[in-house]
Amino acid sequence: MSKSSVIYDKFERHSHAEGLKGHATHYCPGCGHGLAHKFLAEAIDNLGIQDRTVAISPVGCSVFLYYYFDVGNSQAAHGRAPVVALGHKFANPESVVISYQGDGDLASIGLAETIATAQLGAPITVVFINNAIYGMTGGQMAPTTLMGQSSSTSPSGRNEYMGQPMKMAEIIAGLDGPIYVERVALYDAKQRIKAKKAIQKAVQLQVEGRGYSFIEVLAECPTHLKMTPEETEKWVKECMEPVYPLGVKKDLTVDPWFKRNPPCFKGEKILSLAGATSEHPVRHCEGFPTHLAPHDISLKLAGSGGDGAQTAAMLIARAAINEGFDATHIPSYGPESRGGTSYADVHVAEDEVLNPGSPDPQVLIAFNAPSLAKFGPAVRKGGTVIYDSSVVSEAPELDPSIKVFPVPFTGIATDLGKAVVKNIVALGALQAATGIFPRETMLTAIRVALKDKCALIPLNEEAFAWGIKSVEALGGN
Amino acid sequence: MALKERPKPFLLPEYCKGCGRCLDACAKDCITLSDQINSLTGLVPVELDLTNCNACGLCMDACPEPYGLRPAHEGEIQDFELEDPAKLFGVKPSEAPVPVDLPSEVLPLPRTEPLVIKGTYASAIGALLAGCRHVYGYPITPSTEGAELMAKFLPKLDGTFLQAVSEVAAVNMMYGTAGAGLPTMTFTSSPGFSLMLEGVSYMIGSELPGVFVDIMRGGPGLGNIAPEQSDIKLACHGLGHGNTHAITLAPSTPQEMLDLTMLAFELSFKYRNPVVILGDGYLGQMTGKVQLPEAMIKPGIPKWAVYGDAMHRRNLISSIFLTESDLEAHNVHLNAKYEAMKTEARAESFLCDDAEVVLIACNTPARTTKGAVQDLRHQGIRAGLFRPITLWPFPVEALKAAIHGADRIVVVEASAGQLEDEVRLALSKAGIRSFPELESVRRMGGVLPQQSEIMAQVLGKKEVRA
Repeated sequence: MSKSSVIYDKFERHSHAEGLKGHATHYCPGCGHGLAHKFLAEAIDNLGIQDRTVAISPVGCSVFLYYYFDVGNSQAAHGRAPVVALGHKFANPESVVISYQGDGDLASIGLAETIATAQLGAPITVVFINNAIYGMTGGQMAPTTLMGQSSSTSPSGRNEYMGQPMKMAEIIAGLDGPIYVERVALYDAKQRIKAKKAIQKAVQLQVEGRGYSFIEVLAECPTHLKMTPEETEKWVKECMEPVYPLGVKKDLTVDPWFKRNPPCFKGEKILSLAGATSEHPVRHCEGFPTHLAPHDISLKLAGSGGDGAQTAAMLIARAAINEGFDATHIPSYGPESRGGTSYADVHVAEDEVLNPGSPDPQVLIAFNAPSLAKFGPAVRKGGTVIYDSSVVSEAPELDPSIKVFPVPFTGIATDLGKAVVKNIVALGALQAATGIFPRETMLTAIRVALKDKCALIPLNEEAFAWGIKSVEALGGN
Repeated sequence: MALKERPKPFLLPEYCKGCGRCLDACAKDCITLSDQINSLTGLVPVELDLTNCNACGLCMDACPEPYGLRPAHEGEIQDFELEDPAKLFGVKPSEAPVPVDLPSEVLPLPRTEPLVIKGTYASAIGALLAGCRHVYGYPITPSTEGAELMAKFLPKLDGTFLQAVSEVAAVNMMYGTAGAGLPTMTFTSSPGFSLMLEGVSYMIGSELPGVFVDIMRGGPGLGNIAPEQSDIKLACHGLGHGNTHAITLAPSTPQEMLDLTMLAFELSFKYRNPVVILGDGYLGQMTGKVQLPEAMIKPGIPKWAVYGDAMHRRNLISSIFLTESDLEAHNVHLNAKYEAMKTEARAESFLCDDAEVVLIACNTPARTTKGAVQDLRHQGIRAGLFRPITLWPFPVEALKAAIHGADRIVVVEASAGQLEDEVRLALSKAGIRSFPELESVRRMGGVLPQQSEIMAQVLGKKEVRA
C-alpha cells in the first residue's frame, strides 16, 4: 500500500517537523491509530474527496490527527467532535466531514453529543477507535475497559462498582438515525481488509448524502496494556472481540436525501418574514395626547392568561408607533401558560420611552377582581381605571380623583358570540374613557393585526364599538 | 497482456518504530526484528530480506506508520542516502492553494416603517440581516423566543436552525460553523451561558467569530426566570479557562437589540473572536419600536476558514499550542487583539455635561434610570446617566468625561455589584484614584431597581421596598 496523497508530505505541525517528526507519527509503536489513519486516508483518496474533506480531531491520542491529514482540519473540545462536525456539515453541505474519536471522547465525556448526533442522522462519518483504555492521559479506565481489566484507575481490575463496558456499535445501531454501523478490528490481515472497506463505505455513504455512519475500530494500545504489539493483537482478538463482536450492526439502504439549497440573502424575503412594509400608516392623531400626560403615558393591563391583556397591550403599542410616537410593552406572566396571572406594562411617549415599567400607571385596565384589587390602589391620582364589571362584583375604594369605568367586557363579548374579543371591548372602552388616540388609530391597529384573519375584522370592530358605547352610557370621559 | 508488477516493500529504518506488526502479516518470513538500535531514533527497526518476497503487500497494510513500509517504486529507493529524513523527501509544497478572503457584500434594503417587536425578535432579525443563517440553541427561558423565531424563519431562507442536545453541544455546533467561516449565533440565558463557557474559551483560543445573546436571569443555580444582570462578571472576566476576553454589548432597547446584534457580527469577524450580547429578561420580552437598517450583509468566506473546499484545504482550526513558547506567543497575539478591541468601547452619556450626580446603569435599569434622571432634573437636581454600551471593554474615557464634574456617582444595577466592579476596575486601570465614593441602588433575584428607589437614593430618602 502506498502512502496516500491525503497524508501530508511532511508533518509540519508535528513539533515543527523537526527531524524525524516530519515523517513519523506521534503514536507509540504498534498503536492501532496509525492503521486507522492510513485506511481513512486511503478511503478519502479513493473517493476523490480530499478537497472537500474536513477532519475533526478529538481530544485523546488522536488529538493530533491534523498533523497528518492533508484536508481541512478542525480540532474539537473533548467529546464535542460530532457536533463540531455538524456545524461544519451544515455550513457547507458539500463538505465531507469525518469525526474521528477515541473511547473516552466518544463513549464517556461526549456521550450526549454522540447519541444525539447519531440520532439526528445527518450524513457525517464517525470513526470510533476503541482500545479499551485512556491512552493520552496515561492508562486510566475507559468506558470500554473490559471487566477485570486493570488500569491506573481500576488497579485491581474493573469490577461491578465501575460499571460495564459500553458497547457503542450496538448502542448506535439501536438508534433510528444511523444508516450504517459496523465494528471492525485490525489484529490480522483479514480484519484489516474488512476495516478498510468499512471505513471507505462509511465515508462513501456520506458523499452520496445517504446518512450517518459509524465505524467502531477495535484497536491496539500496547503501551497501556503493557504488552508487545503482537500480544496486544492477540489480546484484542481473544479478550476484546468476545465482548465487542465484530461485524455489521446496521446497514440500511437509504436514498440520498441530504440536499440543501444555498442560503437565501434576498432582502425582500427577510423584510417580508419580519412583517416589514414600506407603506406609511395613515395617521389620525393631531398630536400627543397631552391631556393624559405631557410626554409619557403609563398604562397597565392586568388579568388572567387568556384574557387577551397582552394582545391589547401590543395593539396600544402598535397604534402609538403607527402615529409616530414611541411605545413599549413588557409582558409579565405567571408560571402557568394559561390561567395564571398576566400583566402588561405599556408606555406611550412622545419621543422616547425612558422607563418602560408601570408600577404606578395612569391608566389601569383590569380584567378581574384580583387584578383590580392589586393594581387599583397604585393608579396615580387623576388617573383612569377601567374594569370588567361582568366579573368584578365589587370594586375597591379608590382615590376619588380617579375616574372609574365599570364595563362588562365579558358580557358584551359573549353577547357578540366570542368571549375572546373582550380585550377589544376593553380597548374601545379605553378609547372612549381616555381619548388616548382617535378611534381610527385603534381600529387600524386592530385591522392590521387581523390582516391574515380578515373574516374576524367585523366582529372586532363591533366589539370595539360596544366598548365605546358602554363608556358613553356611563357618561363618557 | 503482462500483469503490472506489484511493488515490493521498502523501509527507511528511521521511520520504523519496530512494532513488528508486519512480521505476522508476512507469510514468507521476510521480516525480522533486528537487534541494532537505530542511532537516529533510538528504536529498533525491523529488517527486510526480500529474497522470498512475492510482493503481496500485506506487510505494508499492517504497518501503522504512513512513512513506514512503503512500496518501492522504481528509481525511488536507490537514490536515497540515509541521513536527515527531512532532506530525503524534501519539502514538497502542498497542492492546496493559498486561500484568499471572499469578501462579504453589503446589500441595500428599502426603507421600511418601524416594526413593533420584542427584544429577542429584534436580535434575531438583526442576525438575519447581518448574514447569519446558522443558529444553534437549546431552549431556555427567557431567551427562547429568539430561537423560536429562527426555527420559523431559517428554513424559509434555506438556513439552519438546530436544537442541540444541550448548550454544550450548541456552542460546539457554533464552533464548527464558525470554523467553516460563516456567521453563527445562539440565544441563551444565564444557566445556559454557564454551560457554553467551555466552548467560548475554545472559540477564543481558535480565533473563531460567533455571537452569544445571553438574556440574563436570576441566579445563582436555577434561580428564576426574572431579569437580573447576573452574568456581567462572566462575560467580562470569566469566559471559560485561559486568558479570554470578548467584546460584551449591553443593549437597553429593542432597537439596540437589533443594532448591536448586527454590530456584534461585524466585530466578531473583524477580530475573529466571539462577541457577547447581554440583555436582561425585560429587554428580551419587551416590545418596542424597531427601525430596520438601510443595508444587510451577505457574508463571504474568510481566508482562514475550514470551509471544506480546495481553497481552504490547508487551514486548521485549533487552540492547541503544545510548545510553551508557541502558546505564549499565541497569548501575546490574543492580548494584542484585546488591546485593539478597546477602540470599540461605546457609551451613552445623557445629561452628564453639567451633572452633579452621575448615575451609571446599563440594560433595562438604564432606561429606568433615564426616567429618574429626567424627573430629578424637573426637581432641579443636575442628574445625568452614564450608560456603558460595551461592558468589556469598559468605556472608561467616556466615563472619565461623564464624571468630570460630579460630586456623586450612583451605580444602579440588578446584581450584587457586578457592574460596580467593572466601574471600579476600569477607573483603577485608568489610574484614576480620586473619585466620589460610589453609591449604589441594587436589586437582585429578578427585581429591577425601580425609579422611585433611584430617586430616593439621589434625594437621600429611604425608600420602602414593595
